[in-house]
Amino acid sequence: MDDAMNAPARASETRFLKETWFRQRRPFHPLAWTAWIAAIVVILTLTRNPFYLALVIGATAIVGWRTAAVTEGEQVVLLSPLRFGLVVVTTAALFNMAMVHVGTTVIFTLPVWIPLLGGAWTLEALVYGALNGLALAGLFAAFTVINRVVPVRALLRLTPRAFYPVAVVVSIAVTFVPTTIQQIQQIREAQAVRGHRLRGVRSWLPLIVPLLEGGMERSLQLAEAMVARGFASGGEAQDRWPQVLVLAGFVAIVAGWLLKLVWRQPLGGALLGVGAVALLVGLWRAGRRHPHTVYRPDLWHMRDWLVAAGALLAMAAYMLPVFERSTIFYYPYPALSWPVFDWRIGLATLGLLAPALG
Amino acid sequence: MAHPQPGAAVKRVTTFGTYSLTSLVGIVAFLYPFWLPQLAQDAAGDLAHAGDSALMVAVLVGLCFVVLLLEVQREAVGAKSIALLGVLVAINATLRFAEVAVPGPGGFSPIFPLIIFGGYVFGGGFGFLLGALTLLVSALVTGGVGPWLPYQMFTAGWVGLSAPLCRPVVRVLAGAGEGRQREGERGRQGDAATRLEVWVLAIFAGYWGLLFGAIMNLWFWPFAVGPVQMHWAPGIGLGETVQRYLVFYVVTSLVWDLARAVGNFVLVAFAGAAILRVLRRFQKRFDFAYQPASGEAKWTTP
Repeated sequence: MDDAMNAPARASETRFLKETWFRQRRPFHPLAWTAWIAAIVVILTLTRNPFYLALVIGATAIVGWRTAAVTEGEQVVLLSPLRFGLVVVTTAALFNMAMVHVGTTVIFTLPVWIPLLGGAWTLEALVYGALNGLALAGLFAAFTVINRVVPVRALLRLTPRAFYPVAVVVSIAVTFVPTTIQQIQQIREAQAVRGHRLRGVRSWLPLIVPLLEGGMERSLQLAEAMVARGFASGGEAQDRWPQVLVLAGFVAIVAGWLLKLVWRQPLGGALLGVGAVALLVGLWRAGRRHPHTVYRPDLWHMRDWLVAAGALLAMAAYMLPVFERSTIFYYPYPALSWPVFDWRIGLATLGLLAPALG
Repeated sequence: MAHPQPGAAVKRVTTFGTYSLTSLVGIVAFLYPFWLPQLAQDAAGDLAHAGDSALMVAVLVGLCFVVLLLEVQREAVGAKSIALLGVLVAINATLRFAEVAVPGPGGFSPIFPLIIFGGYVFGGGFGFLLGALTLLVSALVTGGVGPWLPYQMFTAGWVGLSAPLCRPVVRVLAGAGEGRQREGERGRQGDAATRLEVWVLAIFAGYWGLLFGAIMNLWFWPFAVGPVQMHWAPGIGLGETVQRYLVFYVVTSLVWDLARAVGNFVLVAFAGAAILRVLRRFQKRFDFAYQPASGEAKWTTP
């Protein structure tokens, strides 16, 4: 009881704390965070070198720890990254060892007549499986940070203008989720008053039908309100050619990549580039259909430049053949060897730490 | 709309081309663990391209999704479809994370029936958006955004996009049934037709329950096994790769997916008729157009 009485006071206290925090450390621009997460996805997809993996995961952990103070405490954390990492690394390592019987450092041997499991269980397979699991755990941790620090509205605002209708649908849906939860509660109570307890598959119907009916009714009202405010009153856009351009660009990209991969034609790279340009131009043209103004734009500060530059630097080190790029593709087969560490790539990876500085 | 426009042919070709091309490339890209190793290994047995190719495949899946989305979002023109879609997505996303009424065993999730019914009643494009955005919104609300999200959205979108494929099946089956029970009383015919629809959709939903899991596993698989083992030993071909995948699938997720398949089947079979009735009733009510007229506002019903 006492706790409940104090709750509002405590809430205002935390809000005050949060506001002062925000005054000292403004959140980063969502685009800067996008650059950061893109760099991590690219790096973790590419590399299996344990040193680089450890650097990326360490940087993620530090950024997560530094930003934890800024964000709200009431966010739901479905699964802690640490627990997820432990499970995934163990599973991947054991599974890889059970399935792949390649490598020279044999731990033990199962009789060959057992299908798939039979054969030599090797240390190399164990290590490689663990590294794969580590990459996945790193991805999970990085996205946990992103989920916590970037608000939903900011993510939605990043949607390219070509996908304006989709963005509208998503923002309507996000807005209606709390209402829907409330409605489920009300339906539950109403059914309880009628002596109906909701449990099991049979009660799905008494829940879903009123929910759908009510939702449809609300969407009709919403549509009327939108039309009354002049939504989509400009008529349907007629020109198809952004669509055609995007499709052509897509075909060119696929064809170019196949040429490059299968027949190793230099022409493929050029085709890929042309396709990418066509695709981007098409998307840009499609976006021109939906002119809009931004009421309160996110400001791009010096510190956002810092984050973006750090992310780009890290990504470039792994994608461009400037440094010893072969070190990022580490394979323990056929015999376990010490992974090679290029300190320049390692240094560039530290660019991912930029969000922790600001 | 009624008069044929010069751009109609272009429109049909781009729509059909986009649907088929993106789906084809998407399926092939999803299946990359099976074919990429053979391609990426050049004469010297050099593996250096494998890592880049995996990244490229991820980019390709993203591109497929973007191109398909651009085409499909043309379904969401006008306030009515946008509002309807938004509210349905909100309901479905809430059903996904709120543990409502039905405690879900295994991979069971109550989002699929609505996606399938939405696609079946309102069209494939609508179903695609409903499926993809349901997963997006529930991820945004619960903080579950991750690298798996584009794949989930794509696959759930396919569920909705493919739902209208049930229509010809229902039509053929209904035609066969009608021939047999021509003498049956007329009053119960509508009832029988709905029951048939529900059964077809329930089986469809059950299949998708399994397929969804199999496709999502393809995303996870290279992380669990690593691409290298497949092309390390030159003797390992496509057959053995498929075999390994099957083992992986049975060990890690068959039970999980079976729960989803059975759950889908039961939910659709149980609630199908009622949900179809609600959706169709509102489809009729939504079938009007706002017309800005000179002088007074006019409401027309096409």
